[in-house]
Amino acid sequence: MPALSFRTAARIATRELRSSRGKFAFVILSVAIGVAALTGVRGFSSAFRATLLLRARSIMAADIAARTTTPPTPGQQAALDRLTAQGNRLSPVTELLSMASSTTSLDPLLVSLKAVEPADYPFYGSVVLQPKMPLAAALSGTSVAVGDDLLLRLHLRLGDSIKLGAQQFTISSVVIDEPDRLSGSFAAGPRVLLSQAALDATGLLAPGSRATRRYLFKLPPPRPGQPLSDAAVAQLKSQLEAILPEAQISDYREANPALTKALDGATGLLSLMSLVALVLGAVGVAMAMRAHLQQRLDSIAIMKSLGAGSAQVMKIYLLQTLLLGLGGGLLGVLLGLGVQVSFPFFLARLLHLTPSFRVDSHAVALGLGAGLLTTLLFTLPPLLDIRNVRPILILRRAVEASEDPFAQRLWRKLQNSIAQLVASFLILAGLALLATRVSDSREVGGVFAAGLVIVLIVLLLASALTLWLLRQFLRRTRLHLPSTLRHGLANLYRPGNPSAALLAALGLGVMQIAAVYIVQRSIVDEMQVAVSENLPNLFLIDMTTDEVGGITALLVHQPSVHGKPEIVPVVSSRLLAINGTPASQLNLRRNGRAFQGLNLTWPPDLDTPPPGDTVIAGRWWTAAEAGDSATHPLVAIERNRASRLDIHPGDQVTFAAQDDRFTATVAALYEADSRHAFSRAEFIFPQAVLAGLPVVWYGGVHCDPAATAQLRRVLYEHDPTVTVIDVAATLETIRQVLLQITYVIQFLAAFSIFAGIVILASAIAGTKYRRIREVVVLKTLGATRPRIATIFSIEFAVLGLIAGAVGLVFANLLARFLLLHTLHFDYTFQPLLNLACWLTVGLLTVLAGWLASNRVLGQKPLEVLREE
Amino acid sequence: MIAVDGLRKSLRTGAATVDILKGIDFTVGRGEFVAIMGASGSGKSTLLGLLAGLDNPTAGSVTLNGVAISRLAEDKLAQLRGRTIGFVFQSYQLIPTLTALENVLLPYELNGSPDSTGDAETVGLARARQLLDSVGLTTRLDHYPVQLSGGEQQRVALARAFILRPPIVLADEPTGNLDSANGAHILELLLHLNRVEGTTLVLVTHDPVLAGYAGRRITLRDGLVVGDEAQLPLAAAHLPAGA
Repeated sequence: MPALSFRTAARIATRELRSSRGKFAFVILSVAIGVAALTGVRGFSSAFRATLLLRARSIMAADIAARTTTPPTPGQQAALDRLTAQGNRLSPVTELLSMASSTTSLDPLLVSLKAVEPADYPFYGSVVLQPKMPLAAALSGTSVAVGDDLLLRLHLRLGDSIKLGAQQFTISSVVIDEPDRLSGSFAAGPRVLLSQAALDATGLLAPGSRATRRYLFKLPPPRPGQPLSDAAVAQLKSQLEAILPEAQISDYREANPALTKALDGATGLLSLMSLVALVLGAVGVAMAMRAHLQQRLDSIAIMKSLGAGSAQVMKIYLLQTLLLGLGGGLLGVLLGLGVQVSFPFFLARLLHLTPSFRVDSHAVALGLGAGLLTTLLFTLPPLLDIRNVRPILILRRAVEASEDPFAQRLWRKLQNSIAQLVASFLILAGLALLATRVSDSREVGGVFAAGLVIVLIVLLLASALTLWLLRQFLRRTRLHLPSTLRHGLANLYRPGNPSAALLAALGLGVMQIAAVYIVQRSIVDEMQVAVSENLPNLFLIDMTTDEVGGITALLVHQPSVHGKPEIVPVVSSRLLAINGTPASQLNLRRNGRAFQGLNLTWPPDLDTPPPGDTVIAGRWWTAAEAGDSATHPLVAIERNRASRLDIHPGDQVTFAAQDDRFTATVAALYEADSRHAFSRAEFIFPQAVLAGLPVVWYGGVHCDPAATAQLRRVLYEHDPTVTVIDVAATLETIRQVLLQITYVIQFLAAFSIFAGIVILASAIAGTKYRRIREVVVLKTLGATRPRIATIFSIEFAVLGLIAGAVGLVFANLLARFLLLHTLHFDYTFQPLLNLACWLTVGLLTVLAGWLASNRVLGQKPLEVLREE
Repeated sequence: MIAVDGLRKSLRTGAATVDILKGIDFTVGRGEFVAIMGASGSGKSTLLGLLAGLDNPTAGSVTLNGVAISRLAEDKLAQLRGRTIGFVFQSYQLIPTLTALENVLLPYELNGSPDSTGDAETVGLARARQLLDSVGLTTRLDHYPVQLSGGEQQRVALARAFILRPPIVLADEPTGNLDSANGAHILELLLHLNRVEGTTLVLVTHDPVLAGYAGRRITLRDGLVVGDEAQLPLAAAHLPAGA
């Protein structure tokens, strides 16, 4: 059989596309949405990563940074001094939380202190201050630079004073930008920048205080014209790892490992969400193509009667699909650039870094390729149906299949089934391939693809069932319903309406965005839950041994304090070995930093576990054993920590605190109830084991919520060096961060619902001609336009309400699963939220339906009848 | 009853303007049965559509029962049309998502009861059932158009056209898509409407035998009336056997 030339096929394909411009415009848009989301996410991620690399040194403010939470031992300090003697420059940065007060405000404020050496810091980039001045001048003597939010909250201006610890300081300038803000600790309060000498003067930095120390290093400059060698960087890095084994050490080439890891994870997650929108777009193309082929049955039958084979005819419509996919892809790439530019707006408060705009060719290629692939794959099933079109359709529309012999019917059915099965397998494989590519994980890609297909099938079945139930209801109540309502409902079953598939697509979009919103609300709402009488709502950190007695006495006599304050001693330590095997040689999954930054403590009572802890293995020590523990150290370990470290009762565990080392026998494993201050401790010793080691005290107290501000003032006046964290205020800060993150997720989830709405509009546009004919008949029979509009509005609204209901049911199921089993939060059904979502979907579908029904009402009846 | 004065209709197709009707004048009295004939493209369906107010003329006017419809607002026109005119299309034009009974009932629901006696809903339903019964579709009330044959669909369309007892029925090639037996049945029903109920009937056809049953024949050619003569209508007894 001679082949249909590409030119002829292309001519037929493009002419048909041109004649159905309006209908296919929606199809192109539905593809574009998914491509835009994917390209935007990947483009932003790539631009952000490129900016991180480009400004790596500035972001770190150094060539290498070592981050630790414990002060260096004398030996370590000596080793660091030797490094600087070799020509490396060192600039220490100390970050901690503290309380600040002013005469203009009654309440002390939790602030994020950052102490630097102004002469050296930063090695790269610069601190931007207002008014402009050198950093050394801004931080000279008792001057500090502060964030503008501190000025607002404490009602201060430049030149006013604030008190930090035991020292008064003058505010010399406002910090506009710090180059290493991203590399620093999470700022739980407004920023205060001061010199190291000034920090020492405050008395806040007691031994054992919870401060983060970053040692910034700048290597000696290389020969002129030569870049800094990687070998030199690697050598200094390995020296630092030997000197500070408990520190996290990174060089400028890694930028911020935590940040890039988070960026990779977020990019993967958001890319998968974009893939959902892309799949929906492809479903829309498939539905539109199926409807289009239905309308082209005559043309196909004519071509076949003239001698064209199925493959030749399929070539035409395959070309059409390709053109649609390409058109949607190109439009999507353009829109994706807009998405890429909008991300910094959502994440401004989190990122402190605006990536420069650049078009990433890989992101563009991925988006375009994904758009084309999904479009082609999902259109396969309707294209395969072209093989079933028989030429006799020209003469007789209702060609009965039963006219053929049974064997022929069976063989044709088998061929169709096999072909559709192969098409389905290709769709699944293609989806898995795409998901693997965007998530960089074969496992995640496979699970995502299978999960998405299963969800689509389930939604399809649920939608079909709902439509069937509605039809039964309609059958039984038909003539008892108002005629407008009856007509609107009956229109759901209009020939050519792909109602169930349409509802499934729209339902998936609703499900995605509603699930994100329900999870976000549940997490954020739980953070606002009123603290129970038994839970502390104020935490005190960094109390010294000298202060703890006085503070405890003060708290006990406060009328607003309920119950006994829980005061916990903490010794900073690290784990050296388990049963003689050094920590570095232990083969544990995800051990990471499990051996570093350990907090050791002792119980209030000699021979019983602290309040809230229950022994689950081994036994707690007796008073005699506690007394003897200086020579025979014992330790009790929290269950989850023991499990991660693979430790059991009877094991020997070696610890180091400062320059001291000791080995303790594991006496017991315990479980904490998470309601007491001691619940944070994971290693409990008899007091005698930790005697003589530097101790910092932490406490938790429950106070009347209305009196927390007053209690904070009293504590600050008594001991200004003690940091008091109001749980409610801190939760509010975390809540704001979470909200920002979820805005991005919601933004992307909105693409899916937008894709669903576009598919709806496309399907409605596909039945436009039938609607016009219906409008003509109704007008002829005396229906006014408002009446006709009401009928169609009911049809659109019911479509949206059914899709909304199906989507919300599954959104709640998904959210429940995620909250209870993955995120470990409570799930509560939120009726008002669900109702609002449901009604919003109904309204959106009515709007989309009318958008797609442009000019349907305005057609003159005779114009349409004349065309028949 | 119907007055047409200087009626013109032109259409723009691309860059060209096509004059479909070039100046039509005639009147139709109450109870008349008029057949409009002409070759394909003579403008007869366009004329019928303009009589029903389904489009606006380029020039001239159409008056129905003393009301000039050409310049009426669309919704007012729809309401007038619903109560005054029953329209029978060549291709039936039933609403596919409504049953036969619901299709017949539709004008009643759209335009309200023609009389004020009795419960509107009950009266309308009863009338719809009675009409479908009279056209021989008693057992097909709950069937959708796709489940009916062409002849059955046209009978439903006829019942729908007459549920409000409109004074005027316009029929555009009502038997064009039917076999002779079904066609004869439809014609018989139309003749009953005209001769017994006194409905004014304007029927467009290219079939001279069908036109022979009318009392007056208007012939169109190239958008103009070239013939308008009264004639002795054929008796119903002349309907083909099997009707």
